[in-house]
Amino acid sequence: MQFIDNAIWLLAAFPLLCGMVSLLLPSPRLVLSAAAAGVLASAALDTLAVARVFARGAMASNGDWFRVDALSAFHLAVMIIVFAMSSIYAVSYFRNEPEDMQLNLASARRFSALWHGALAAMTLVLISNNIAIMWVGVEATTLLTAFLICLHISTVSLEATWKYLIVCSVGVAFAFMGVLLLAASAGANAAGASVMQWTHLQGIASGLDPRLARLSFIFLLVGYGTKAGLAPMHSWLPDAHSQAPAPVSAVFSGFMLNMALYCIMRHMPIVAQTAGNQHWAGNLLIFFGLASILIAAVFIISQHDLKRLLAYCSVEHIGIIALGLGLGGAGIFAALFHTLNHSLCKTLGFFSAGRIGQACHSHDMRQIRGAMRIDPLWGGGLFGSLLALIGVAPFAIFMSEFMLLKAAADSHRYIVIVVFLLGAGIVFVGVLRQAIEMAWGEKPQGAHGIKSSLAERIIVLATLALLILAGIWMPDFFRNALKAAAAVAGGGMP
Amino acid sequence: MHGMTENIMAVLLVVNLALMASSRLAGCIGLVALQGIAIGLLPLFAPGGFSARGFLLAAFVAVLKGIVFPRLLHNAIRGASVRREVEPFVGYGFSLIIGVALTILSFWLGTGLLPSSHGNERIVLAGAIATVFTGLFLIVSRRKALTQVLGYLVMENGIAAFGLAVVSEIPLLIELGILLDAFVAIFVMAIIIYHISREFDHIDADQLSTLKG
Repeated sequence: MQFIDNAIWLLAAFPLLCGMVSLLLPSPRLVLSAAAAGVLASAALDTLAVARVFARGAMASNGDWFRVDALSAFHLAVMIIVFAMSSIYAVSYFRNEPEDMQLNLASARRFSALWHGALAAMTLVLISNNIAIMWVGVEATTLLTAFLICLHISTVSLEATWKYLIVCSVGVAFAFMGVLLLAASAGANAAGASVMQWTHLQGIASGLDPRLARLSFIFLLVGYGTKAGLAPMHSWLPDAHSQAPAPVSAVFSGFMLNMALYCIMRHMPIVAQTAGNQHWAGNLLIFFGLASILIAAVFIISQHDLKRLLAYCSVEHIGIIALGLGLGGAGIFAALFHTLNHSLCKTLGFFSAGRIGQACHSHDMRQIRGAMRIDPLWGGGLFGSLLALIGVAPFAIFMSEFMLLKAAADSHRYIVIVVFLLGAGIVFVGVLRQAIEMAWGEKPQGAHGIKSSLAERIIVLATLALLILAGIWMPDFFRNALKAAAAVAGGGMP
Repeated sequence: MHGMTENIMAVLLVVNLALMASSRLAGCIGLVALQGIAIGLLPLFAPGGFSARGFLLAAFVAVLKGIVFPRLLHNAIRGASVRREVEPFVGYGFSLIIGVALTILSFWLGTGLLPSSHGNERIVLAGAIATVFTGLFLIVSRRKALTQVLGYLVMENGIAAFGLAVVSEIPLLIELGILLDAFVAIFVMAIIIYHISREFDHIDADQLSTLKG
């Protein structure tokens, strides 16, 4: 296990290697299975690193270019859960696509290569200690995942891809101006290569030029916020999520958005520690968080497309996480807990939407009826994940939202509580109404049954069980891991 | 040396204004390529910039932005029978006035951001901000998908100049990573434009509006 300490870059390089190997295989089915195997192997490697960090503290390698601390290890853990589940699911999802949408060898290879590439780029974002390399990784994920949206080329999928590409590239370009401004705010305090190193900037945070640091945070928040889907920069998100194949939507919603928020989490403590900015950065995040919750709620009420509904739920939950970050202290702990819960839940939601959509030949919620009768497993998965998403007890999202409200109450931010409850209430009613009809209504004529593999059954049942378990019991090792990660995002340097 | 930086910034600003007023797509691609080459050469004339590393990097940027990108974009529109930007949301004359206003605004912002001891950097910063503004304006005010890509490239050029003005030295590895991203971005956008022109018989980004709500 020692080798990881000295070569953290392996975590990002290994998926690339797996992607290349999977290109050599001769049939679409084999390529997809190899993609799943490759992701599982990468996940095993990441697990070693995560376990090591939580047992022994942060590790760095290659002249501090790469570094994994509790915050990045926590996100690595969320990433591998989402990616591993989605890769296994992708095998049976693509097998059960209608005849005219079956993947041929070329598109299966394209999927596998880009899928591994996206995994590598996201890993690079998490393990780099350099804010500019982190940016390079974020931009790379945009470019690598663009073709995953239009895996099946059609007018609507091209439209979604184009919007995603332009909006996110321009947004992330703003983030780069933020990175440059943050480096500039160090002035003469930083020399040479260390000028963009996170650990270095964190160390000299109190000496940064506060005006430039503020300006940089605005650029970073708008830039990475675009990629994270914070309102009002979320315009690409519902289109991309609804047009992409279900496993891709799951990774987008389950982790790519969180990766962008992770970048904001990295910059927040630096900016908050410069003179006079203590609450400023947090208040900005609270504002964007509340705006996301309210705007998402408005669109959820009038939504007819299941995958767009889930996409707007992502906007809402990313807003909730941003809100928690902005509150600071216990709010950050709640936000990180919420990150894991939302990723689990949304992954299951998109999986179910994909399989039930295949059975009903539509993602229009007016066409999807009687999901429980079509298939109890996926119907239950859909209903359960929607219930969990809107914060029904005893699911874990209820707990994390409760913790967040408590953090807001402790800091006497009553307006925040009122706005949050208003938004969450609208979403609750809007989604529940749809969920009940989709689960219990009259089964449509053309709907056929769903054949699910053993792996899929395990994924659905295990995710639901985990969501309930995490809602009623938080084991000590998990609490400590979350605390350590929250401490990093709050400005500590373990 | 000092004068050369100012000359390059002048090229940058003139290209910005010319882009505001031209409708031929091929001409716009050429203008953006010229701007890219100018940006590539800029670091050579910074104090201490004339090193082997600086020279190689400048040559690399110039080839990438001056030859590779234009070729990719020309290929992308070869299939589509589009040669001109038609009826932009904002007319060319008015665009030009906006361009001048944005340039003035940029000089005001650029001189406010850095202390007056950084004479040269202030000019580069102002030019950089003007270029970023121009790129953004092209993205939101033009109909053709290709012009939006050009806007993105102009913005990228502006950010490169911005980096030169505010950060004294960016490590080579980072510089290369950024260029790789820019290359892949243009590559991917060119492929998507090609697919759009095949599926839709046009490359009007404003008509990509089926997905709503």
